[in-house]
Amino acid sequence: MLDRRSGSMITVAIAAAAFGALIAASITPTIGQAPAASTARIEGRPNLSGIWQANNEANWDLQAHAARPAAVTQQGIYPYDYARVPAAPVLALGAAGAVPGSLGVVQGDGQIPYKPEALSIKKENAERWIDRDPELKCYLPGIPRAMYLPHPFEITQSTNKVHIAYSFSNTARTIHLDKVDDPPDDTWMGHSVGRWEGDALVVDVTHFNDRTWFDRAGNHHSDALHLVERFSLMSPDIIQYDVTIEDPKVFTRPWRIAMPIYRRVEPNMQLLEFRCNEFVEEFMYGNLRKQPLVKHWEGDTMTIDVTRKVPPGDSFYEWYR
Amino acid sequence: MLDRRSCSLAVLVAAGGAFVLVLATQTTAQSPAQVPALKTPWGEPDLQGIWTVEYDTPLQRSPRFANQEFFTEAQRAEFDRQRSQIRGRDERAERGSETDVAGAYNDVFGAMKRTGKRTSAVIDPPDGRIPPLTPAAQKMAAEDRAFRLALMRATQTCKQQLPGCAGGKYDPQPAVELRDVLPSHYNVARMNRHNDPEDGALADRCLTIGLPEFGAGNGGGSFRRIVQTPGGIAIYYDVGQGQGWQRNIVMNGSPHLPAHIRQWFGDSRGHWDGNTLVVDVTNFSAKSDYRGSRENLHLLERWTRTSPTTLEYIVTIEDPTVWTRPWTVTQEFTRQSEQENRIYYEPRCIEGNIGYPTVLKAARQEDRELAEGRGPDPLTKDNASGGAAVDPLMQ
Repeated sequence: MLDRRSGSMITVAIAAAAFGALIAASITPTIGQAPAASTARIEGRPNLSGIWQANNEANWDLQAHAARPAAVTQQGIYPYDYARVPAAPVLALGAAGAVPGSLGVVQGDGQIPYKPEALSIKKENAERWIDRDPELKCYLPGIPRAMYLPHPFEITQSTNKVHIAYSFSNTARTIHLDKVDDPPDDTWMGHSVGRWEGDALVVDVTHFNDRTWFDRAGNHHSDALHLVERFSLMSPDIIQYDVTIEDPKVFTRPWRIAMPIYRRVEPNMQLLEFRCNEFVEEFMYGNLRKQPLVKHWEGDTMTIDVTRKVPPGDSFYEWYR
Repeated sequence: MLDRRSCSLAVLVAAGGAFVLVLATQTTAQSPAQVPALKTPWGEPDLQGIWTVEYDTPLQRSPRFANQEFFTEAQRAEFDRQRSQIRGRDERAERGSETDVAGAYNDVFGAMKRTGKRTSAVIDPPDGRIPPLTPAAQKMAAEDRAFRLALMRATQTCKQQLPGCAGGKYDPQPAVELRDVLPSHYNVARMNRHNDPEDGALADRCLTIGLPEFGAGNGGGSFRRIVQTPGGIAIYYDVGQGQGWQRNIVMNGSPHLPAHIRQWFGDSRGHWDGNTLVVDVTNFSAKSDYRGSRENLHLLERWTRTSPTTLEYIVTIEDPTVWTRPWTVTQEFTRQSEQENRIYYEPRCIEGNIGYPTVLKAARQEDRELAEGRGPDPLTKDNASGGAAVDPLMQ
């Protein structure tokens, strides 16, 4: 009797001790290990902390699209859209200037439910991508685009805040899990207020301006944009990222994108700076130099002569000598 | 025997339960009235929150207070009285004259805080002064100063001996020989010439980033938001009218980045020393500049939570190519309201920077007018210095 009782007590004790140890482990910072490798929970919630990056083509176009020869193309010898060829200014980049295809991240029928006038703006945006895309000017990328730019970001999850630092443009956003006043003005990166629904972090993002885009295809929104993001861990190294997009000025109904976002598991991974506003000075202000580096400016119009000299030894036939 | 074993296990059970209890207690949201814990729920020192320096303190100690580390209350009150009467840029020059800034930046932009306790933020050397520059750094600084003053010498600012010409002399003959000459090092500050974007100050180009960061202008106007996670720390800096930048501290004990990887904000690697966060910062870019220190700048920061509402920051600044010895600065941050969230947490600058391309555009217009004999030499106009008032505390 006594034995049996103490036996069952032992079982309970082991279970409880294990539970205690589990919690103790979950709150002990792993020393000598990148935070990226941590799978701990914080106050019972999944810990999303670490460095992450989407690995898809959503930044080119949220919708399904075939690969194409270049980000900027011109009509080739045939009059067909499918036979266009690369154009300056990306011509000299060869295959590095091409656009990879994708099955898209828009859920359901894959359509973005634009109102007619908003759809014509989207088409115009796509045609004038190089003049209009805020990414090219290194403007703040906005949400959700910052989440699937081809640049890493780092989540620092605490109890009352989840902070996200983005490599691109050195920007950041704070997801407030506690009470916070609204921002005094509209924003590029939105105002993020989050809550936990079970193991999913659900974030309402509002207070946007109308300046950011969803992708390089010219998909756009107004200042009435309202996002509901869901972050859930599919596995310790994959976040399932799901966004419901609502903007009654631009879309006829809410629509949804979804994608996995992967942990950068390299042991030496850290967020490096990408201060692109320095990189784009020539692009933005080159015409205002006393001695322009690009020689052909007419007002704000840059004409780039693509001169690609092949150094001796590097021409195609020379490789096979 | 068995009993003893089950007994010790029972203790463990209790310990495990207690742990759960502690966690549960801390999970319940802290009401604002409660004093925030100084440790995070996972046991690390808690540095989190929005922090700013609420007082103005001169970086270096004025010779007037040579042997005095702290101001007396009377001295602080007197400074507050004097400084509250400064009209600064609200004081306009003759209307229509070149030196009249026409309220472009009124005094709201240069607001002052109350005078702090210390006579200098520098605490080492003990005299509160930045140590002397090395001979090489002195030479470089002198060359740079001479270059900038030469570009200014034919302006009204020099003629009227305004602060923007401090150390220089008026000469009606513009320094035409410097019109197209590059400065000896990558430029980071304003110069009275705008041939290229690179002739502008980093701040005008939306490239304000830098450590150490002691706050813009009169020592104020900057905030930090610190968020922690087990083994990770993110610091967002809100500086200079909406510019800002993000800094994540690497806490995994790994060595600094390879020497050829250079960043505007350096490479920050931290560890806990008791309750203090110690961060070692190296790998700065040659384009960054702190008082003449560039790629060889080395910082050792110590961040310590000293009370629920205060955070002590101590930084030792070292660059043997610039200063004859390391020196140390302290600042005391005060915690700001989380709910009011008075932090401009998105670094929007280039998005609305009409000012900078306009300066360049106007410079090209002036070049054309000069070439066509229709306008004055741009070197006779001051397009570099501001009309900032002299602050007695900072003298």
